[in-house]
Amino acid sequence: MEIAKLFSIIIASIFINNFVLAKFLGLCPYIGVSKKLDSAIGMGMAVIFVMTMASTITWLVYNYLLNPSTSIFGLDLTFLRTIAFILTIATLVQFVEMVIQKTAPALYKALGIFLPLITTNCAVLGVSILNINEGYNFLETIINGFSAGVGFTLVLILMAGIRERLELADIPESLKGLPISFIVAGCMALAFLGFSGLKI
Amino acid sequence: MNDVVKMGLVLLIITLIASCVLAVIYQKTAPIIAKNKQLEEEKARKSVLPEADHFQEITEQKIIGQDTVHTILYYKGLDKHNRLVGYTFRCEKYGYSSNVQTMVGIDTLFNIIAIKVISQQETPGLGANCATSEFAEKFQHKTPENIMVDKDGGDIESITGATITTRAVTNSIKEKFIDIKERLIEK
Amino acid sequence: MKAFGELTKGIIKENPIFVMALGLCPTLAVSTSVNNAIGMGAAATFVLIGSNIVISLIKNFIPSKVRIPAYIVIIASFVTVVDMVMEAYAASLHKSLGLFIPLIVVNCIILGRAEAFASKNSVGSSILDGIGMGIGFSLALIVIATIREIIGTGKFYGMQILPCSYQPAICAILPPGAFFTIGILMALFNKWVAKKS
Repeated sequence: MEIAKLFSIIIASIFINNFVLAKFLGLCPYIGVSKKLDSAIGMGMAVIFVMTMASTITWLVYNYLLNPSTSIFGLDLTFLRTIAFILTIATLVQFVEMVIQKTAPALYKALGIFLPLITTNCAVLGVSILNINEGYNFLETIINGFSAGVGFTLVLILMAGIRERLELADIPESLKGLPISFIVAGCMALAFLGFSGLKI
Repeated sequence: MNDVVKMGLVLLIITLIASCVLAVIYQKTAPIIAKNKQLEEEKARKSVLPEADHFQEITEQKIIGQDTVHTILYYKGLDKHNRLVGYTFRCEKYGYSSNVQTMVGIDTLFNIIAIKVISQQETPGLGANCATSEFAEKFQHKTPENIMVDKDGGDIESITGATITTRAVTNSIKEKFIDIKERLIEK
Repeated sequence: MKAFGELTKGIIKENPIFVMALGLCPTLAVSTSVNNAIGMGAAATFVLIGSNIVISLIKNFIPSKVRIPAYIVIIASFVTVVDMVMEAYAASLHKSLGLFIPLIVVNCIILGRAEAFASKNSVGSSILDGIGMGIGFSLALIVIATIREIIGTGKFYGMQILPCSYQPAICAILPPGAFFTIGILMALFNKWVAKKS
């Protein structure tokens, strides 16, 4: 039962409720960083990492500091959720950046420039809030954060592959750049809509 | 060093002020939000059991570990002279893209009087049509035994292009309805 | 004249959505109906004006190294206020906007204006800037929502305007419709700008 539920969370957040194409979260990096395949992969990896970490930590913050029935203070601080989460994420991103820079310079070189961008990626705050709204337990939260990141990376890389080719295509002047990217995204969303009938 | 202290202090002050302001507003709005929710529930109960004048909560006590948990099973609908006119209950199931919650009113002979979908975030134009009155009417006068979607051999006609939503509503009602009927007959 | 410029630049010349492509997530997500679009536009405008005022008032007290976290706290507070007030007084709207209310915090338009405008200008022009950007954002939202609601349901602001025989193209209010609509609108906007210059 437990394994089945975890599996359904994974499939649902990668395909059925894909963060970008079905929930419209993380559109800015999706459009902004999908011009080149290399940078799309780098951004994708950074997002998977931060989303998993952020899900884990914000869950702990919510349940042990804010939620009145489980917190160590016993106070109802749920109204501070938005502030607490965004500050946690901002601090986490800074911290991860410093740690990677010190311990793994090669990885820092690959991911470094994408990390600051992630603070304002609404997908990270979005997944943290969704975990709480859906009432996931600790393990489900980690799994959901990770697979939401994988779903984001999947469509980001697909998009980058398409856009590299679009550069060479002959398209009307006014459609060049952003407009055609959105129309391509629309086609992808249409394709992903096919997953939504999936019954798990 | 002095700089770091100053920066920390400024952030701390801003956060403290923000938290205080929010706490005040939270205290003002929280009771209104709770009252709204209660009113909305009461209204939904009235709409599925119009004959009732007031409702009485029936809860069940369960002992889980060391805690006693009270869960609301159903509501008794009573008219002005405190006579029993029926029951209402609330049921939910995951549909296509959201949890679909339905309020159901039944009479004392266990026939459905009316249903109302009170919360759903299904696909607009398809599954979201489960909140329309045309769909709700299909459940009138049904008993727990004969609630079934047409595709499963019953006679609840599914919403065009939204069998999953129809099934979620239908099955959630059926399960809870059977459960409550058994409890009431036992008494 | 200058004040008028501060107010109107956000509406067309620096329109946050069509020109700067900022704040796309809420734009696409809540533009399924005009009602939602107006609610979201109003919420974001309130946060924009509020955070612009506060930030331009205290800009001299914030050390520049911690300015971003400070801005985020201020914005998040305004967002929480909107969240709570809306839940108390407009519960059904709050329900349909859902997750996207707390996500106003990471709407790049708001942090972007705080950093690019309110931290350098006086309170008066920051207010005007906030109002202008808010209107620009709301208008773009309403335009997209109008197109999607009419094509997708045959209704405008919940009222039937196309004949009942019109078979609604539901795709327009599903996610793909959002991408197509904004793509085509941006192309038209580009074409119009190119023609003007």
